[in-house]
Order: sequence, then structure tokens, then C-alpha cells
Amino acid sequence: MISKRIRSTRVPGLRGIKFLVLLIAWLVVMSATQKLAAADCPKPGIEKSKSAGRAGFIDRLLESSWKKAGVNPAKPATDEEYLRRAYLDLLGRIPDVQEARAFLQTKETDKREKLVDFLLEHADYPKNFATQWTILLIGRANQGQIVDRGALSSWLRKQFAANRPWNDVVFDLVTAAGSNKQNGAVNYILAHLEFDAVPLTSRTTRLFLGQQIQCTQCHDHPSNEWKQGDFWGINAFFKGLKTEQKTSVNETGLEAYDHTELRDEPSDAYVRFDKRNGLVGIAFPKFLNGQKISQGTDVIRRTELGKLIVDPKNKDLSRAFVNRMWAHFMGRGFVNPVDDLGSHNTPSNPELLDKLAREFQESRYDVKQLIRWIMASRAYQASSVKGKGVDKEEGLFNFLQLRPMSPEQLFDSLLTATNAHRAGNGLQSDQKRDAWLRQFLFAFGNDEGEETTSFQGTIPQALMMMNSELLRDALSAKPGSFLADCIEQAQSQARSPEAYMVNQIYLAALSRYPTRKEFQQAGGYLASYPDSLQVLQDLFWALLNSNEFILIH
Amino acid sequence: MISAASRPRPELNRRHFLGHLTATALDVPALQFFSSLNANADQVRKNHRSCIVLWMSGGPSHLDIWDLKPESEKNGGPFRPIDTSAPGVKICEHMPRMAKQMHHMNIIRSLDSKEGNHDRGTYLMHSGYGPNPTVVHPGWGSIAAYELSEQLKNFDLPHCVAINEPGLGAGFLGMSFSPFVIQNPNAPIANLKPPADVDAQRFDRRLDMLGQVENDFIAQRRSQMAVDHKAVYGKTIRMMNSKYKDIFNIKSESAAVREAYGHGSFGSGCLMARRLMEQGVTYVEVSLGGWDTHANNFETLSKRLLPELDQGMSALVADLAQRRLLDSTLIVWMGEFGRTPQINQNAGRDHWPRGWSVAIGGGGIKGGQTVGATDKDGVDITDRPVGVMDLIATMTKTMGINIETQYTTPRGRPMKVIDGGQPIRELIG
Repeated sequence: MISKRIRSTRVPGLRGIKFLVLLIAWLVVMSATQKLAAADCPKPGIEKSKSAGRAGFIDRLLESSWKKAGVNPAKPATDEEYLRRAYLDLLGRIPDVQEARAFLQTKETDKREKLVDFLLEHADYPKNFATQWTILLIGRANQGQIVDRGALSSWLRKQFAANRPWNDVVFDLVTAAGSNKQNGAVNYILAHLEFDAVPLTSRTTRLFLGQQIQCTQCHDHPSNEWKQGDFWGINAFFKGLKTEQKTSVNETGLEAYDHTELRDEPSDAYVRFDKRNGLVGIAFPKFLNGQKISQGTDVIRRTELGKLIVDPKNKDLSRAFVNRMWAHFMGRGFVNPVDDLGSHNTPSNPELLDKLAREFQESRYDVKQLIRWIMASRAYQASSVKGKGVDKEEGLFNFLQLRPMSPEQLFDSLLTATNAHRAGNGLQSDQKRDAWLRQFLFAFGNDEGEETTSFQGTIPQALMMMNSELLRDALSAKPGSFLADCIEQAQSQARSPEAYMVNQIYLAALSRYPTRKEFQQAGGYLASYPDSLQVLQDLFWALLNSNEFILIH
Repeated sequence: MISAASRPRPELNRRHFLGHLTATALDVPALQFFSSLNANADQVRKNHRSCIVLWMSGGPSHLDIWDLKPESEKNGGPFRPIDTSAPGVKICEHMPRMAKQMHHMNIIRSLDSKEGNHDRGTYLMHSGYGPNPTVVHPGWGSIAAYELSEQLKNFDLPHCVAINEPGLGAGFLGMSFSPFVIQNPNAPIANLKPPADVDAQRFDRRLDMLGQVENDFIAQRRSQMAVDHKAVYGKTIRMMNSKYKDIFNIKSESAAVREAYGHGSFGSGCLMARRLMEQGVTYVEVSLGGWDTHANNFETLSKRLLPELDQGMSALVADLAQRRLLDSTLIVWMGEFGRTPQINQNAGRDHWPRGWSVAIGGGGIKGGQTVGATDKDGVDITDRPVGVMDLIATMTKTMGINIETQYTTPRGRPMKVIDGGQPIRELIG
């Protein structure tokens, strides 16, 4: 309410022609992309999704679980909250000032659904999901020459852009062969071939099926049903993989490495493994449900594994993906860790997980459809502000849990807010981001291919946000920077340029207008210090360093 | 007593300086504010107990370091045992410098930890608990820092530090108790100073503006993370302004000392750990990675890992003893698990959580002993099995922390710091 008053009384410039133009432009783009999408994708699945953007069963099941637990749902998220989390979750970055203004301004009752549709067709949506799945598939660390991160990322981008059914994507990843340059999916396999494909075995079952069998590499699992033979049974599907590094003549006329070829070479179908009792065990290809395949060389074993994984009878594929996607939007899965499903780990809302997985499978693994359902649910629409009787137990999804931005989200959001890439030293590409991120990265170099970052809201991150070169560039007022544009535009405002600048800075950093109190405080600073650029920089610095900026709410 | 009862969450009983700062007048420079904090910090530093964990990530081959089996034809491996300064205690020939320090250290040769997976083993050995879907346990280092840091309210260095690798986080205790991670002890701490064009007064103005946004967001009643964020910033700003921040610069040590510890990341990390101990930091973990030796175990150990370990660890023990810090500094050497007795097809050893060794000493524990034993082939425990909780209980008691301490998790359930473990009597009576 307060911010509205400020907008109308103190910043009349906001209602100027410029903004109307922007708004109209946005609406035109939105309707155009929708038409385009409809024209490009005549598939029934996509058509249907428009009318089925909401899944009533989700809310019904959530509401009954809240009732049973005796908790209230939090209030619905404000437009400001919804806008910000939708951009971060779908595009991997916050909205810029124009995007924020356009959404906050419009009064349409279905503007949230429209926003989701718009974002799902935005070029940053496949980019963002490709980034996340690249990390899930091969991690953040440099995997050496034979893993072409860029090729994998761009292959994933195409899959998400085309909204390819998830079962097809998984099948292609598990069975990929040929040149890793031409077929980016090959790089997933290439990244995990060390240690006799032990990492590939555990990652494949964890990522796609939500089954943690890695403990059973050396012994039967202490807490779930997996046995040592199960691990090596999956591992046997990956036996006989051959890689070959190919060279070509480059521009300077020298022969140099060009790409790596992956192929399946028929061989003995069994693997040997060391048992606890000192004996050597033998395992033939066997899927987790006990299904076996031909032991001969008449089949390509990875193709058989791919078929078993995407077999409609195998419910693990949809359950694992649905649980992971739920966690992506809610900060927490029905089952946690998100890739540890099974009878030993009871879901917080078993009915909802079952139903959502079933519906997802019936939608032909339509990823965008699943996203629409989740984002329309009362859980996602809930505020992160906890009212009375809300904060009883985690895992009920009756309020949105705060969670920190990922390093990638932070970097991209900083650039969105500040245009640092235009003012600074050309920080723009994903490679730059990866290089920046590497300073926070640890790779353990063990047979689970684990890595982690020191970027977890602790002191090194706070130091980076307060004092680093990245932030200095972000706050610079060099031509092309956000602050430079902001100051320039302020001069052409009919009334108070200060008011315009303060509003712009709040919208850029926090995707909302300042409250009355904040507005007055900012005005006070500007009035009492002669160097207003410094004050604006300091205000921007403070907003970018705040909990409100870094925590997805 | 209070520590036995369930504790309130940390934020409820800790005052955060950022709050003070925003409450003070705008024109009091931060630096001046901090220097008054430092005044009585020196007093609380005395009589403080600390712990250094030497973390061997990947899973160290205990049978080739602390529990050699020269009698075992199939499992013994090529390394020979040598005598040490502790009568009757033998260790690997590639640890000659540590052999001279063994009267300070003890070996537990019968740890049974049950988790044979890196992730789970790392979690277990750091927290005493296996991973659990309903709660994220704090690392023991964070618990120690949390318990003992309450006596050190005005301390302006991080209480919990991890060098080379990140250790385990603080779980539900919140980000502000997570380890301060130093990725490379040979390099200066990145971004420790504000940019040149931001002087103390301007930095203060920034903090004042920041405090307002932070507090407003917290006041809206969102989750704990909003509060933790502010607490982390508070600690960070104190560290930036600490007169002890040069402690992270090991280059100020003499050439002889640097030479003794070695210049690698492990040796330098050990040296930094000693410097942090001198200032009263509660918990420092120094990692040495690369122990996942499924292949070429013996070559990797003798050529690379053991020389680096031997030099850094022995220098640390000797240096602490010489500076009379060893009695107040507990040292624990461990990894996520040991390695298999049998040697595999690739001259490697695989994961082995069932009956392996950790080394422990200092902190007032009498040295030169061994606890427990495995059989001739290193397969079965033949004497005195020790559980992970027994080890953690021993560490907890040595640090002077009540082993009955209990927390309430965010779901309102109790979590005991020690659940079903007993301090090892042979070591601490």
C-alpha cells in the first residue's frame, strides 16, 4: 500500500510515456511468443497444457495434509515475491527493472499464469535448465580435455527449448554414442568412465531413478534393500565402452585434438568385483527390478539399459524427476535427499508424490506441463512470511522456505541488476561465470566424483559480496552500467530525479519499490551527503548485500 | 544444568553486533567501534581448549600407516613397520618423523564406522551421525565452536575453520556456525579489505544502510536463514576489522619454521592451524586429499601422500609441544573410512569402514598408547571395538564440553551431541 502511495504522489514520472511503451512492448512480445509457440508446436501435448495449467489435485492433497497436521497455510505471496521467485526458478536470474515494472503494473487477474507461460518461452529458460542439468550430470569442476562441457550444455538447451519428453532425454543420455562434439549427450558418459565406470553407475541410478546404490559397491546396503550384486549388475551394462581421441588439422596446419568418439564394443558381459570375504564376485547385466538381458554380443547393453529405465512399468523415472522438480521450486522435495527414494525414506506427502508422478508420466513426461502445475499450486503461491500457526513443521509446504541463490543464480542476477558486464571487463559468457565460480569450488577426486563449493552463505561469500572486484564493477558508473543509465534517465524526469533513481535501484536489486520508510531514509542520505553518486552506490551495495537479495523468497 | 536441557536456537541467546551497529550513531566509525571490542578479548583467550582435525579425504589406507600387518602374506603390502618414540608402538617406515612424536599420540586400531561411501562416511565421521532425511546434523567442529564460543563473546576470528577442503557445515545450527573455509593457506584471504575508494566512514554508511534492509527482512518473520545471513555478515565484518587478521598470513613465519612444516598445502595448513590455536580459535580442520587409492596404493602413498603427511603432522605436534600448547590442543587424525585389507587387482585397496585406525593425542590425553587391535590379516577386530560415537564422546569430553549436551532440531526433536557413545577410558580415564 505504502509503495503505491509513493508511486502516485512522489514519482509521477513513472506513469510517463516511456513506461507505457515498455508495457505495451512486453505484452506484444508475450502474445507473439505465445502465438509462435502454438504455431511451432502443433503437438497435442502442448495444446492441452494451456487449459490444464492448473492441477486441482495438488491443492486438494496439500490442503488435506495441512488440515491433518493442524497448520495454516501462509498468506499468498505478493506479486513482488511471486515475480522474483518465478524469474529465479525459471530463468536463473532476477527480473530486470523493465520486466519488474511491467509485471507489477499490470492488473490482469491471470497475470501470474501469463508470466509463467512467458518465462517458459523465454530464451533464458532452456539456458537455465541446461546449466543446472550440466552441473547435475558432470559437476562444476573442469573434467579435462575429453569432456566437452559446452557441447553437453548446448545439447541440453535444445532439449529443454523443444520441451522434449523427459524419458526421451534420459534415454538419449544413457545411450549416447559417437562424437562428443556432434552429440553433446556423449559427454555425460565420458565424464564418469574412470574407476571402471563406478561413478557412472552410481550417478545414473541416483540422477534418473532416485536410487542410491553407491554404498553397495563394496558391501550390501545397511539401510535399504540394495545388495552388492545390484551395483555391479548395473555396472555390467557399461562394460565394453571404448573411447578414442580424434585429431584434425587446424587452421595453422597442425594436427591437434579435435573430439572424442564413444562406442560400444561387444565383449564379455560380466564384471568382477571384490567381495567382503575376500572372494571375487561376478555380475552380469541386471536391472534394479531383477530383469536380465542377453549375455551375448547380440545386444548393445546400454540400449537395453536405456529401455529398462524408460519402460513405462518403471515408476522410478517419473518419481525421481517429479521429486527433484518439486524441490527445485520449493527448496525441499517430498523425499530428501532428493535422489534417495525408497521404502527406507518415507515421503512427507506420499499421495501427492504418487499422483504427481503418475500425472507426469501420463502427460508423456511433459516437463513444461509439470512446471505449470507446480507453479500454480498453493504451495508455490504461498508467501515465505510465516503467519501464526504456520511454522509448525518443515516439509508441509504451507509456506515457501527461504533458500539461498545458487552461485550461478547469484552471478547472473548480479549482472542483470547492475549491467556489470557492460561496464566491467567483459564478464558476460557462461565461461566467465564458470571461471569466477572456480575459486569457490572443491573437487574431491574420489570415485563418487563428488565436489562442493565454499559458496554456502559463509564468510568467503560475504567477503566476495562486500569487497570483490565483481561488486566494484557492478557498482561502477561507467558508461553502459546500470547506475550510469539510471542517472542519465533521471535527468529527463519531469519531477524529482532522486525519487526516480531510488525507485530504479530498489527495483533493480530487490524487484520491488521502496517502502515509505526506505524512501525517506534514502532521501535523507541524499540530502545530507554532497556526493550523490557515492550515496547511490552505497545504497545499491547495501541492497545487493542484503538477505532479501540473496535469499529466494 | 542448562547444557543438559534442550537449548534454545543460537539466535535467541546471542546478540549480534550488526544490530548494535545500526543502533549506534551514524558518525561512529566502525573501526573505532571494533577496537573497543578487542580490549577484553585477550583475557578470555586463556585456558581455552582447542582441537585440530587432520582430515584425510578419500579414505586413508590405515594398514599402510598405523596398523601394519607384516605377518600377513596376502594383505601385508610392501611397507615395513618401524619403532617409534612410544615403546612397543610401531608405524610405517614412510613416517619416520612422526615416529619421533608418537609418545604424544595414540592410535585407535579398532574403529568400526560402518559407512563405506565417501559422502556418508564424511558426514558420519564429522558429526557422529549417519545422514538422515529429517535433520541436517551439525559437524562436531561447529558444535565445539558453538559450545565454547559462548565463552568468547568478544572474539573476532572465526571459531571454526577448515583449510584446503570445506569440512562439514553447521547443519541446523545455521550458516553462521559453519566453518570459515580457507581454500589455499599459501594465498592471502581473498577480498579481506574494502576497495580503495571506500574509507572507514563510507564503509560505515554502507553497513548502516545494510542493517536497515537486513532487519526489516528479518522482522517480516521469514525463516531462520534471514537471521543467519545477518549473523554471518556480523562475523565477517568483525574479522575484517580484527587486529588478528594477519594471523592468516603464514609468510610472516621464519624460513626455518616454514621449512619444518613444508610448503605444500597440507604443511602450510598445519602451520596456519598452529597460528590459529595460539589465538584461541576453537576448531581447525586441515585436509590432505587424494587417499582414494583403488589403484597404485603403495606408490601413491610412499611417493606422495606419506611424505607430505609425515612432515606436516610431525612438525605440528612437535611445534605445539614446544610452545606448551599441546595440553590444551586436541589433535585427531582421521578420514571417512579406512581401506580394505585385501589388495585388489590394481595394486589398490578399496573402501573399508569395518575395523580401521585413527590417531588421537594432545588435549591432556596421555600419549604413546594403542587402543584395540585387528587380527593378523587386518580383517576382524580382535580387541576393544570402538564406535564413532565413542570417538566423538572422547573428543567432546577432552574439550571440556558436557557430553550430555542436547539440542532441539528445527522439527522440535531432541538431538544429543553424544548418542550411545562412551569416552574411551583407556585414553581419558
